[in-house]
Amino acid sequence: MIRRYLGLMAVLAVLRTAGRLARIALAAALVVAAAPVSLVAAFAVTLAWWRGWPPRRLYRAALACLPMVAVWWAAAAVGSRPAWRAAAAPYHAWLTSWHQVVAGSAALAATTIAPVAIPLGLAAGGLLWSRRIYAMETGTGGIFPTSPAAFQARQWRRQVRTARARIAAPGAVPLVSRRGAIVAGAVIRTSGHRDADLAMIPYQRLRSHQVVIGTTGTGKTTLLLRLWAGFLTRGLQLHAAGAGRRPLLVVLDCKGGADSRRVADRVRRVLRGAGARFTAIWPDEASLSLWELPAAELTTTLLDMIEHGTGSAAYYADVMEAIVALAVGAPGGPPASAADFLGRLDAGWLGLAYAGPGHGDEAALLRSAGRHVTDIALRFRTLFRRLGPGLDGPGSYGDADAWYCILEGTADVAAAESQARALVDLLAHYAAHGRGAGREILLAVDEFSAVSRRLPIWQLYERARSLGLAVQVSAQSWQGLAPDDDDRYRLAGTADGGIWLLRTPYPEPVTALAGEQPALDTSRRLLGVPRWGHEGSSRVRGAPVADPALVRRLDVGQVAYIYRGGVTFVQVKRLIAAPAALAGAPVTGRAPPTAEAAHQAAPPRAPRPASHAGGAHLPDAAGQPVLPAASAAEVTALLDEAFGPEPA
Amino acid sequence: MDASAGSTDATTASGRLTERDIAALLFVADMYAVQLDQLAAVLGVTQARARAVTLGWRRAGYAESARLGPGPPWFWLTRPGLSACGLPYRASSPALSRLAHLRAVTAVRLALEATAGYAAAGAFWRGERRLRARAGGRVGLREHIPDAEVHWPDGPSAGFAGECWAIEAELTPKTVARTAAIMHEILARTGDYGCPAAQAQVPGTPPRHARVVYLCSAAARPTVARARAALPGLAGRVEIRGLPPGADMRGPAGRGGERAR
Repeated sequence: MIRRYLGLMAVLAVLRTAGRLARIALAAALVVAAAPVSLVAAFAVTLAWWRGWPPRRLYRAALACLPMVAVWWAAAAVGSRPAWRAAAAPYHAWLTSWHQVVAGSAALAATTIAPVAIPLGLAAGGLLWSRRIYAMETGTGGIFPTSPAAFQARQWRRQVRTARARIAAPGAVPLVSRRGAIVAGAVIRTSGHRDADLAMIPYQRLRSHQVVIGTTGTGKTTLLLRLWAGFLTRGLQLHAAGAGRRPLLVVLDCKGGADSRRVADRVRRVLRGAGARFTAIWPDEASLSLWELPAAELTTTLLDMIEHGTGSAAYYADVMEAIVALAVGAPGGPPASAADFLGRLDAGWLGLAYAGPGHGDEAALLRSAGRHVTDIALRFRTLFRRLGPGLDGPGSYGDADAWYCILEGTADVAAAESQARALVDLLAHYAAHGRGAGREILLAVDEFSAVSRRLPIWQLYERARSLGLAVQVSAQSWQGLAPDDDDRYRLAGTADGGIWLLRTPYPEPVTALAGEQPALDTSRRLLGVPRWGHEGSSRVRGAPVADPALVRRLDVGQVAYIYRGGVTFVQVKRLIAAPAALAGAPVTGRAPPTAEAAHQAAPPRAPRPASHAGGAHLPDAAGQPVLPAASAAEVTALLDEAFGPEPA
Repeated sequence: MDASAGSTDATTASGRLTERDIAALLFVADMYAVQLDQLAAVLGVTQARARAVTLGWRRAGYAESARLGPGPPWFWLTRPGLSACGLPYRASSPALSRLAHLRAVTAVRLALEATAGYAAAGAFWRGERRLRARAGGRVGLREHIPDAEVHWPDGPSAGFAGECWAIEAELTPKTVARTAAIMHEILARTGDYGCPAAQAQVPGTPPRHARVVYLCSAAARPTVARARAALPGLAGRVEIRGLPPGADMRGPAGRGGERAR
């Protein structure tokens, strides 16, 4: 009985082996018979493996060959009698190619079969490559237990290498695509998004709120510069075509210091290349006027810029509000400068201003709160001294295509908080009431949480949303987005334009926002040695669309763009800034002219210094230039010729 | 058929612009808006031919025209026109309140450009619109911008080579104090328009404008003269002349059908 059973088992094993060998032989015969297709498929799979391509790319290549096939088939139909026999053209081509190979004409054979073999080979290669990826993703492929993980890691490296090669090719990554989308860089890998070579963001998405998270040195500034330049370029294109409003970019850099100045210079040079005629660096080179705000808003802003106590100190806040309102709303009109405002914070001045008839209530208020006026003036004097002249005008957001505002959020937090409050109020007023209503405004804030004590960032968000502004919040970490988790989730959850995630040690809260996708967990039997058997089981589980481990390992210049439940990993293309223009001779201790100023001053040429001029108009003792007599006579002659003699 | 007819045909038929069209478009763009008779002078053709030329511009979408006041119609560049010229100006129709002033400034420019010395020196007219664009809107509330600057390049052609003149067309009198303040501001200025505020007037630095030329109407002339007299140290750099013929709105200098220049 036992012998009979063992015999049966042996027969079954032999039959199984024979069947397996027969299948292998059949497959080998098929591969050999379809050698041209097999060769193309093998080449396609190798190329896709080497370049880290997705199978879809091979399918697209196969589809792209269809016109060639159609022409070839049409040519075959023209030469066939009757024409329907052209249906057998592929078979005849295959047969002919074999005959040509036998005759020793391999090149001719390849030419004969190419119209059929190439598309079929590409499609077959795509199927094989797809099968391979599926097997590795589900854990059913590979010889060793570590094979799937190693395969994924190798694929990532190859995809990165391909993306880097793409952005290194000159002209391969334009700033704006032909359809007007902003190109961030080359795609490394996608999940839940359409696969493409270039990562393109529609302009309208930049007109929505976005969040950018990335630690220092990960390429965050490079990414932001590209987005800003793209926003300005596309916005200006649309504006020139009469299809959009003129763009305005306002950047609030809340770190400050020398590093911010370097970034500002780079921003200016990059944006100049993007079409921005003037990029204002606040407060170093340009100013804004707080005093352009209407009286009511000015009062609110001035009060918000001062730190108030709570509890019993609220009384003093009320007194201050009353006095500031009196100073701002005086009958002569609101103040025109800080000095004007400080001059009004004087009991005598206010008393005279409200001495006329019809101001009984104000006069009474002044009598009760008059003793605090000096203290209030002192506080505002201190505030304006710390703020500097940046908010004392002249200037408005409409004066430039881009504003780069540097707030000293590290060195002087209190002053930076006041500045942030004022800048946002000015922008809100400009967008709502000024010429800003006719501009597409993108407000980019970097590390705003450092200065958001007086203006919670969610309030900035909501306010911007109501005004039609797009806000782009960037931070070095999830924690840097906002002071607490509620605000962070509120920010990230309302980022309609997507979230840009660079390398960061704690990406989980953000990657979780991309959601999950079904993935297979496969368990297989281990055969005693580190080698898998063929038996096991699989179960479906939810895996994050954006892999946090991958985000944690991102290299410099790589970013995960999370949008609508999908993620695209992008190798960002760095924008090369135009070289800084040579500065002119510095004057009286001021900073030398900026690159922008030098650029704009080029045509026409500014008058030469007097010492070099043909007329040699050297200043006299009073500092006035002395015009030579010959020049004066020539001028008179010229003007007489043009306009007649000077009237008596 | 004269050259302008060819220009018109070229503009309308093929959509291409001739050199004269381009020069005239740039002229119109710099002057905000130009009346037909003055445009004819710029093109060097009759008014009828100038009208045909502008028809081509309008068909191309580069220019607009309208009868905004007395006299011939006004022409100004549209946004596509300004964009085609590569000029960063904001497209808008001329304000009615400024028509007289625009015409006067254009007349001044035409008169100055018609002189032999201007062409020989290769001078450059830098109009108010260009100055404002250069300033990028950073013009302070109280900062005065002249109607134009004339830059005289270096060269042996004139004794005033290398100078920059400010041009002011005065139609209506201001107060003497205001006029004198403007004169002083222009003559004391050291920096280009649009430069940082601290560089606008730097003591010890050569002034930007070697002189300021006032072209005045009869009404404004006494005020300007008194303002100049109120600036004894600077009076030598202020030239006063009358506005050229055709500067007022009452009638164009040339007659229709007559070649303007």
